[in-house]
Amino acid sequence: MNVQDLRRESRRALADKNLGGALTRFADSYVISREEIYRGMDFQALREEVARIKGEAARRLEELAAQFTAAAEKRGARVYRAATAQDAREYIARLARERGVELIVKSKSMASEEIHLNAYLQEQGLSVAETDLGEWVIQLADQRPSHMVMPMIHMSKEEVAEIFSRELGRKVEPEIGSMVKLARKELRRKFLAAGMGISGGNIAVAETGTVVMVTNEGNGRLTTSLPPVHVIIVGLEKLVPRFKDVAPILEVLPRSATAQHITSYVTMITGPTPAEGPDGKEYAQKELHIVLLDNGRTRMAADPVFKEALQCVRCAACLNVCPVYQLVGGLFGDVYTGPIGSMLTAFFTNPEKAGEIQNLCLGCERCREVCSGDIDLPGLIAELRRRTVQKKGLSAGQRLIFEKVLTNRRLFHRLLRVAAAAQKPFAREGWIRHLPLFFAGLTEGRALPAIAERPFRDLADALPGPQAAGPAAGARAGDAPGRVGFFSGCLIDFVYPETGVAVHKVLTALGVTVITPPGQNCCGYPAAQVGLPEAAAALARQNIAAFAEAGVDKIITACPTCAEALKFHYPRLLAGDPEWCDRARELADKVQDFSSFVFEHRDVLPTAPRERILTYHDSCHLKRRLGVAGQPRELLAAAGGKVVEMAPADLCCGFGGSYSIKFPELSRAVLERKLQAIAGTQAPLVAVDCPGCRMQIAGGLVHRGSPVEVRHTAEILAESLRRQGKN
Amino acid sequence: MFETFVNRARALGTEVYRAGSPVAAGQLIEKLIREVGAKKVALAPAPLLDALAVEKAVAAAGAALLTSGGVRRRAEEADLGITAFDLAVAETGTLVQDATALDRRLISMLPPVHLAVVSTDGLVDTLRHAVNRLAAGGVPGYLAFVSGPSRTADIERVLTIGVHGPGRVMVVFVDREGGSVQ
Repeated sequence: MNVQDLRRESRRALADKNLGGALTRFADSYVISREEIYRGMDFQALREEVARIKGEAARRLEELAAQFTAAAEKRGARVYRAATAQDAREYIARLARERGVELIVKSKSMASEEIHLNAYLQEQGLSVAETDLGEWVIQLADQRPSHMVMPMIHMSKEEVAEIFSRELGRKVEPEIGSMVKLARKELRRKFLAAGMGISGGNIAVAETGTVVMVTNEGNGRLTTSLPPVHVIIVGLEKLVPRFKDVAPILEVLPRSATAQHITSYVTMITGPTPAEGPDGKEYAQKELHIVLLDNGRTRMAADPVFKEALQCVRCAACLNVCPVYQLVGGLFGDVYTGPIGSMLTAFFTNPEKAGEIQNLCLGCERCREVCSGDIDLPGLIAELRRRTVQKKGLSAGQRLIFEKVLTNRRLFHRLLRVAAAAQKPFAREGWIRHLPLFFAGLTEGRALPAIAERPFRDLADALPGPQAAGPAAGARAGDAPGRVGFFSGCLIDFVYPETGVAVHKVLTALGVTVITPPGQNCCGYPAAQVGLPEAAAALARQNIAAFAEAGVDKIITACPTCAEALKFHYPRLLAGDPEWCDRARELADKVQDFSSFVFEHRDVLPTAPRERILTYHDSCHLKRRLGVAGQPRELLAAAGGKVVEMAPADLCCGFGGSYSIKFPELSRAVLERKLQAIAGTQAPLVAVDCPGCRMQIAGGLVHRGSPVEVRHTAEILAESLRRQGKN
Repeated sequence: MFETFVNRARALGTEVYRAGSPVAAGQLIEKLIREVGAKKVALAPAPLLDALAVEKAVAAAGAALLTSGGVRRRAEEADLGITAFDLAVAETGTLVQDATALDRRLISMLPPVHLAVVSTDGLVDTLRHAVNRLAAGGVPGYLAFVSGPSRTADIERVLTIGVHGPGRVMVVFVDREGGSVQ
């Protein structure tokens, strides 16, 4: 599936209102109930503990597998190490044949989905019944689960009733309570008749040979209690060293998965236990087989970057908060879906497909915030992208732009100036509503701002310094640094120079001298985002040099994405470059976003509050990467703004840089949710701290014909400054 | 600790009772069997249940105690199952049982109503303490942590009770003679 196919499929998924609607409703309530369930707990400390346990297990994978095997076998279980999916399937099928099993009951297991176990067993003439309600319905409908925890979240009760009616050969009403009773009755018969039970496992304890299973329905307990032969299929990544390691995982898993303190049932199985066959025959000990599945896991553990993905406990929180997953569901993945699904797909099921689906990530970083295993999911997706690009390459056009144009500042800026002139036939009142030919998708559902006639870099020199602003200003600044560098970024420089002017004005009012080094170039984030870290590193060196020359104490940006690149990407991009790595760290230490900097010095900001109603949009990189959310709100309030919160304020606007070009429909669908949230506040003004979000949101509003304005926080603050020297 | 358990367990749909002594517990169980309207009762023998004379309570409540046939049949036929639990976790409203014996597993799962009996002295504050305590004494073959009735939200995320296991879960805490500390 290439990007074009993916785009076509995403359009189809977007047309499925049932899916998007159910996932979105779930996601909205999930965020609230998740927060509620973690109240009073230190989530960060807890997930670091989980990451330590799982990280240790990933490092000691082989040793723990051997320890687990010995411990479980000592208790009477048989442990089979399956190197591949085929090995696992064959082992289970052979066992069923040898024991003369006809009917198998299964409780939920993603590992069995991963190896397509049901299809294989059925090919071998065995009957397999899924017993988790959702999985059973999915099986009857011949579909695949769309969510790790809630497999049939995409179905309505009417669809379920139809599937039941077909299965039972009589009309079943779409009433949830009675359908659940019906499932109980049908599946109970199967439980009592089955000769083999197959279950998964959430945790495998090396020390004791125990497998822990977390369920709500109770089908897991019946699967592991009734049939006289029990097969557990569990991935190697579920291993933990010690029995006591179970507790922290049990603390995060149900909370993060379904916002429960604990699931109805937690089952811990250590060796075989007594059983009674369907025929009434008593077994002092049933047969217990544990299939330890590798299928790519040791390869993952050996990978210096992707080993981190083994810290996953499969809570699916990253899916639940992902704005793209909410819209397209199972399309964002293979057997495993969503952000973590990209990694698991790459190593376990379909590397080719993983290379494509990673394109669907918007880069909003919401997933990292909620990950129970403290995994840097956006970082891993970026790495997946880098490797995909390394292997398959980019189109010649993209390479040209990133490697030849962007890294050559003079050429890049000359082209932007040419574009500013060339766009004139399409621009009206500062907006481009239609672009010809292949650019058309860009302006579908969204107007694009025109490139400014004069970029900020041409205006910067003429702006007044603190001395000109008034004699008192410098003295008032207190502990504010004397010289501050302004990193404008391309969007402020060439599209929103007025933001640059406002930043300059506010910083100057703090008594600070603002330097805008002309040698600065694109921050490099877009190059890293498309998988060209070398081009990004070249840009990093240019910017480091430009600011070193300026000799500044602080570097302020009014674009959180640029801030993320400067502060977090540069040290990593240049880590292996002895000449630049220290300089990169030095620069990174100086970088701060505009709002949090002004907030720190707010006591000396001369404001003349101007009353107005506004709402605030949290930009992904500002809130999640820089941890800034309260500061701009407080500054806006102090400037006279009455901030009406939109719900949710921190949902991505859907811009995602080049994402809006690659997947315009998805980008627009995410934007649509944002526009609804804004409309809900009835505020006439949206404040943002990111020029990218501003472009996306303002473009959507203009296209809708909405009079709501979008401004950068800096501009609103600049308008509420008290004139210097007047008081 | 008991109060925390009550709040948490009730939020999950568990009905929580407490008896001041073993004798009082026997009477309470008799009353509960009547209230449920159970006609056929299955129980998994345990020293705790013997101490409360639960068998007598079943008879006094006018219900039949199922004793013949395999455990599958008894559990499947019963409209109420009674089993003893070992620990109760206050923090999560969870009951913990060494369910290595098959009758404990099936009688606590197959009937539509389950009555759990646990000594008040078995209360622990947190899940971590429960796990550490279990880890210390050699892990049993089958450990069951039960927190409320069997539930699903698979269809349109509507919470529905009693999908595979019991739809109704009651627990009776039994204080030791002379009163438990909690």
